[in-house]
Amino acid sequence: MEYITHLLILFSIYGILGLGLNLIVGYTGLLSVTHAAFYGIGAYTTAILLTSFGINFFLSIIIGMIVSGILGFLIGLVLSKFKGDYYALVSFGFNIIVFSIFLNWQNLTRGPLGIPGIGKPQLFDINFYNNFNFLILSLVFLLLSWLLSWFIVKSSFGRVLKAIREDEQAIQVFGYNTHYYKLAIFVIGAMLASIAGSLFASYISYIDPSTFTLNESIFILVVIILGGLANLRGSILGALILIILPEALRFVGFPSDIAAQMRQLVYGVILVLLMLYRPQGLIGEYKL
Amino acid sequence: MIMNTLLKWIVGIVIVVLIAWGGYVLYQKYSGSIDGGVATGEPIKIGFIGALTGDAAAYGEGARNTVALAVDEINKSGGVDGRPLEVVYEDGKCNGKDAANAAQKLVNVDKVMVIFGGSCSGETLSAIPIVEVGKVVLVSGTATSPDLTGKSKFFFRTYPSDAKQGEIVADAANAKGWKKVVAIQEQTDYALGYYKAFENRFKQLGGTVTKEEFATSVTDVRSLLTKLKNQKPDALLISVQTPAAGERILKQLQDLKWKPALIVIDILVNDTATVERNKEYLEGAIGADFALDQNNQKLQNFLAAYKAMFNADVPFTSYNTAVYDSVYVIKDGIMAVGLDGEKIADWSRTIKDWAGASGMITIDANGDRASAHSVKVVKDGKAQF
Amino acid sequence: MEIVPQLIVNSIIAGSIYSLVALGFNLIYDVTKFFNLAHGVLAAVGGYAVFFFYKTFGLPLILSVVIAVLLTGLIGFILDKLVFLPLRLRKASDMVLIVASLGAFTAIQAIIAILFTSQFQTLSQGSGQNIYEFGNAVFTQTQFIILASALIIMVGLVWLLKSTMLGKAIQAISDDEEVAKIVGINTNKIISYVFFIGSAIAGLAGVLVGFDTGIEPTMGMGLLLKGVIGSIIGGVGNIYGGVLGSFLLGFVENFGIWKISGEWKDAIAFILLILFLLFKPKGILRK
Repeated sequence: MEYITHLLILFSIYGILGLGLNLIVGYTGLLSVTHAAFYGIGAYTTAILLTSFGINFFLSIIIGMIVSGILGFLIGLVLSKFKGDYYALVSFGFNIIVFSIFLNWQNLTRGPLGIPGIGKPQLFDINFYNNFNFLILSLVFLLLSWLLSWFIVKSSFGRVLKAIREDEQAIQVFGYNTHYYKLAIFVIGAMLASIAGSLFASYISYIDPSTFTLNESIFILVVIILGGLANLRGSILGALILIILPEALRFVGFPSDIAAQMRQLVYGVILVLLMLYRPQGLIGEYKL
Repeated sequence: MIMNTLLKWIVGIVIVVLIAWGGYVLYQKYSGSIDGGVATGEPIKIGFIGALTGDAAAYGEGARNTVALAVDEINKSGGVDGRPLEVVYEDGKCNGKDAANAAQKLVNVDKVMVIFGGSCSGETLSAIPIVEVGKVVLVSGTATSPDLTGKSKFFFRTYPSDAKQGEIVADAANAKGWKKVVAIQEQTDYALGYYKAFENRFKQLGGTVTKEEFATSVTDVRSLLTKLKNQKPDALLISVQTPAAGERILKQLQDLKWKPALIVIDILVNDTATVERNKEYLEGAIGADFALDQNNQKLQNFLAAYKAMFNADVPFTSYNTAVYDSVYVIKDGIMAVGLDGEKIADWSRTIKDWAGASGMITIDANGDRASAHSVKVVKDGKAQF
Repeated sequence: MEIVPQLIVNSIIAGSIYSLVALGFNLIYDVTKFFNLAHGVLAAVGGYAVFFFYKTFGLPLILSVVIAVLLTGLIGFILDKLVFLPLRLRKASDMVLIVASLGAFTAIQAIIAILFTSQFQTLSQGSGQNIYEFGNAVFTQTQFIILASALIIMVGLVWLLKSTMLGKAIQAISDDEEVAKIVGINTNKIISYVFFIGSAIAGLAGVLVGFDTGIEPTMGMGLLLKGVIGSIIGGVGNIYGGVLGSFLLGFVENFGIWKISGEWKDAIAFILLILFLLFKPKGILRK
């Protein structure tokens, strides 16, 4: 039971990450491979605020979102100058730069030593060391993220995003300032990723830069491509499958090092197969 | 379009079935915890966190073998109050994240009361907050960072802290007349701890130290070494987490044709195999180690038993002997106060002159083993005191 | 200031390695016009192939290297046939190709890790390498070979492109694939040859890096990114540009860490890229 709770908490976190990235990649058509950077910013913000300043967890989430939002704005600004392949490449670069900062700004992040002992949220008298309570909390955030995403997608803002994805020049002709829209959704995606990061930091109680690498960004991409781009339920589905799947491998009994690599192998193969045979993923609406 | 909806339904049902089945399997496997049961012969589950894979597997494997050997011996002679010990081994990979996961699983899922580990100080630091919440006692024979001194009442160690190691090596360096030392240090708790201890003492004695750091994932440190070589120091201090990293540095020193006087962290002098492999370059290097009394009968028995069971010599002898002792210490602890993490932790502070293979063990109020290292010099391919 | 000669040597070595990667990457980009992110992992394949044949199998050194390079070329060729060609035939968008190459990269890297463990290994035998001195700078025999290889391959490729039929076909495809088809060039066949050659070069890079420092499964991506940065800042689509950019990158990196701490090396490389992309997107040399 404990174990299932653990898996579901991870699922919620990746669900939130998937939703945020899907808004950027699936709905707006921007191939961003830097999502882990914002995930990390949320995690580090919460970690630092909780361990060094004893700030309330929920406040740290908000601060994390603000930091992510600002950084997302700056990064998004630079990214907006590029298209297609170059967009992806430059986003790679930003992931690496932010990762470098996590690793090297040691006065702030303790670098590779990581930050241990991150506390749990304080809310009334609920004991969040009980993982079941933490799960409820994560699901609440997942729900909120879903509602936000759903609202965006159904609104006229969301329709403009899809139009940008399909034919940016056309919609520019109609007078829409596409730069503004692309920037805005990038910032929103970044803030959602930050929430996931804060939850992650508090749950695992220890973070270090190695979680927030390119590989992680690629993984989140696999989640949404598998589930289906431009489909919110798809992100949830993708997260569910990709969290449960490796656990099945665990019971086949591979030694843990090989199990981790097998997981990577499966992700890689899934990506290739998806591109070859089903680019819209399981229930997606947008073929890459 | 009916095909599409049908497809969706099929996919959905398959997923749900998979999850339900998966959940059932998991439920079967993990339900029913074993508490300090009434039934006799019921195994006592103990946890182990160590670096079983990766560069640091050099430690983790030795520690795992040692624990397995000790547990086997104990079980063959009646177990603990008639109950056999059963160890759950988890891979901490010498990093905080995996150790945190391992600790969470051991505490929440396996519900152990005792955990041996981590092999690396980084693992231990990350596991401590988790065992504190679960009220589980954590004991290590190999985590030596000074940062662990007094870190938690639930942690104690059967190996002395590196604080002393850094000091005596600084004294030795000073005695050789070295004033300017440069250092290359891996970015881990253990390597950093050793460096800081050395730096403090060496500066006190009037010397200067500067360092270049590198992350564990960085394998090419030649540019860093070039920078250090340029400072024309009296000696180079090598502080790394694993022998593998140390050996890479020695090779790259060769590539740069630089043969400085060396001060090395204990893992490069306390394992005969490592010294033998690098004897050419390590000749004359000074380091420190925790001295074992070769006349100690328990030690000799341990060395022989390990060789018989694993067909190899005990690696990192001083560390693994401490690990061996830690298992027997825990056995005594359980027999003294019962299978209760908090009680064992409190009891550990009362350990005084406990006769082990590594000598007399006394644990101080901070959870440290009250003892110290001695200086070793590498001569003719062997590290000697 | 005595450190400068050594830094120059280190820069040249780094630049040479990045050049090798850039040369192969550029060649493939020229004909397919997408960023093949799987290119990097082929360097790892080369490195591990040599490791397998030389250390595990015990074949003589030169033979192992040759087999490794050819094997890597073959794997690149197969990758094209299995994954990229079908996608191209379907007129898949660039995004699909990039994502597919990401998938291939992840999968191949994982296979290497499973077969050989994730640990760092060395190819050389420890001591016994010739080390040369040049003023205050020191470099090893392997490093000299790296520099020589980069230059030889560059010259070789230039000759290939300018003086052979294959080379002319490649240039034709690079200029306009549709027209090339109309003229009767079997573009897909040529492209698959290009994959073979480009991948083989990447494999060679991996082999050399293996002898210089060592190999680990994750070595590919880092090399690729540097090679890509080198190509872009030097001038996309220009062979000399890729080499120039790579050397420039090598210099900036190594001199950069003289003053700034070594840990920022990767970040410096990417900041350089972004600056170039913002202000001089076509790179230094024209096509």
